[in-house]
Amino acid sequence: MIEPNAAVAVDGGNLPFGGGLLALVRPGLDLLAPGGVLAVLTRHRSAPDDLATWCRMEHHELVETEQQPDGGTRVLIRKGSLGLPRGEREDGLDLRPHDGRVEAADMLKAVPFPETANPDTGFAPRGARVEPGGPVYPFRVNDATHSAPPDIAALYDQAINAQWNADTDIAWDKIKSLAKPLQRALGQVFTFLAENELSALYVPSKFIARIHPAYVEVGQFLATQLMDEARHIDVFLKRARSGGGGVGLSHATTSASLHSLLTLEDFTEAAFLLSVLGEGTFLDLLRYIEDHAPDEVTADIVRRARADETRHVHFGMSHVKHALKNDPTMYQRLEAAVRKRSATLAGVGKVPALVQDALTILAAGGTNPEAVAKGHGKFQELLEVMHENRVKRLYTAGFTFDQAQTLSELHTPNFM
Amino acid sequence: MADNSILLGAVAYDAKVVPIWEGIRDHFKKQGVEMDFCLFSNYEQQVEQLLKGHIDIAWNTPLAHVRVQKRTEGKSLSLGMRDSDRDFKGRVVVRKDAGIEKLKDLEGKALAVGSRDSTQARILPLHFLQAEGVDLSKVKLMPFDTDVGKHGDTGTSELDVLEALHEGRAQAGTVGDLIWVGQQAAGKVDTNLIDTLYVTPGFDHCMFDALPSLNANKVEAFKKGLFAMKWENPEHRKILELEGLKEWMPPREEGYDSLKAALTEQNYW
Ligand SMILES: [Fe+2]
Ligand SMILES: [Fe+2]
Repeated sequence: MIEPNAAVAVDGGNLPFGGGLLALVRPGLDLLAPGGVLAVLTRHRSAPDDLATWCRMEHHELVETEQQPDGGTRVLIRKGSLGLPRGEREDGLDLRPHDGRVEAADMLKAVPFPETANPDTGFAPRGARVEPGGPVYPFRVNDATHSAPPDIAALYDQAINAQWNADTDIAWDKIKSLAKPLQRALGQVFTFLAENELSALYVPSKFIARIHPAYVEVGQFLATQLMDEARHIDVFLKRARSGGGGVGLSHATTSASLHSLLTLEDFTEAAFLLSVLGEGTFLDLLRYIEDHAPDEVTADIVRRARADETRHVHFGMSHVKHALKNDPTMYQRLEAAVRKRSATLAGVGKVPALVQDALTILAAGGTNPEAVAKGHGKFQELLEVMHENRVKRLYTAGFTFDQAQTLSELHTPNFM
Repeated sequence: MADNSILLGAVAYDAKVVPIWEGIRDHFKKQGVEMDFCLFSNYEQQVEQLLKGHIDIAWNTPLAHVRVQKRTEGKSLSLGMRDSDRDFKGRVVVRKDAGIEKLKDLEGKALAVGSRDSTQARILPLHFLQAEGVDLSKVKLMPFDTDVGKHGDTGTSELDVLEALHEGRAQAGTVGDLIWVGQQAAGKVDTNLIDTLYVTPGFDHCMFDALPSLNANKVEAFKKGLFAMKWENPEHRKILELEGLKEWMPPREEGYDSLKAALTEQNYW
């Protein structure tokens, strides 16, 4: 007979079928396309019979069993086409450190995002071949446009190198008691911050499980954001409860505003409302608290938080810019989302009352009337700065100046 | 029951039989074929109900299949089988420390065998051993008559045989090759201890049987639904995996000749 071309050969020596031979045969066949032939050399007495049964079970063709002059047997198996994996075999990759690092950005460069992903590949890592027949997963964000901006891996690398420790990195022992009104104002401010941080923990967490794992860097970045927010909640509440005070009031305005974030169902809308508009506005708020902090420890806390928030805003901006660039319907959708939220919040009022007062007293450094007058002015300035910076961010993201003006004015009085 | 609805019988040899047939029923419905199933506790009852015309089609073991053929004088209809039902083989496996080098050495040794009504683990291996010249009266048979009535479907008696070998209660045993290779592939056979001595010639396994009087439309509808199942379809694959096949095949009869001879020889019709 004409000998088929054996493309791959394995030498099974004296291994029994179930005692090691299969561990050579299966990977050998995996290297072949259907129709390719694997030559198996074996000296084990019953291995050829077991291979024959196994081929029948797995729909491979046993082409030939031939005695070898040295006493062994050569079994030729032609690979069948049942259950062939989808995708190309990945091979020859060699991630190399530069400056001692192998970064997520290097990985992304080596294995780029696909434009779209299929939810039936489940948790298969990007680039893996996928055996057919798996279930369809409930992922809802299945394309790069609505999930993964190009700099997402670099942002993740940045984030993991910027983590800090709320237990040990803060000079907690340096906190001194403040006059009661100032202490109460501080407690109120940090209560408000912690409440908003909680929403920044919950909202992204809701979307991680909806993003297709082909864009895992987005999930990885959001995981760092969750860690950041967890730390912010931690450190803000610790500050509120140090020096003789406690936490303050949670306003219905804040509650309504954050509820309207938590109930969003679209990832891009959430990134826009939470990260671009909300966390963006918080950058100015944190700067204000740092400028008027009653002590260096408090200033340090909000400075550290602001550094983290800058990344979150950066992510939101990148995400939205990327989506706006690739999806022409996005402008309208995002504007509609802002208008809808604004309509939901109509009638909830202005800045939460005790928060406004606490921020005024904080800037005044106490309750001296002249100082409070200045504090009042500072707070009015803050609102203007917030609006100006929001407009800048919206403009940078790709909105026109007029759109940016309108959207900024529609933003929640709760800041987030 | 509507006139054109097919009623199929299957034996409940395992809890998975319910999801298998509910899955196949739902698949048939999508193909526009009305089908329902009823479950029996044993193949003898299923064969009787098929012969009485109480069910349209029976999903039969080889033993039930050849009995239906005999009772209908060869006129019954064979409708389809699994890919895995073709070229079944039995194995005689031995402990390596038992000093059994050839079939004759089985005489005087303890041979663990599966259920009385298991084709692959008892009826055919013993038939072929006798044909090879082994004097079965000199072999100490250690029968595992578990799940009699299920015709070996549960595989329990074959696992019992392997356990008896692993534990040294028997020096040799008979099992079907799917259990043997499947258990090895799953890492559940100590291949340092146990090896194959003998592989029987091939024979075929389960078959869908119907009476010759079954309405031709039902026959066609059943085949249409059955052969539309594809391994690549995740919904189908779930069912096919449970039922232990990758592809449904058309029937063939020559694979049952050895079983018929064995039943005559063992007086087990
Ligand atoms: Fe935060
Ligand atoms: Fe944040």
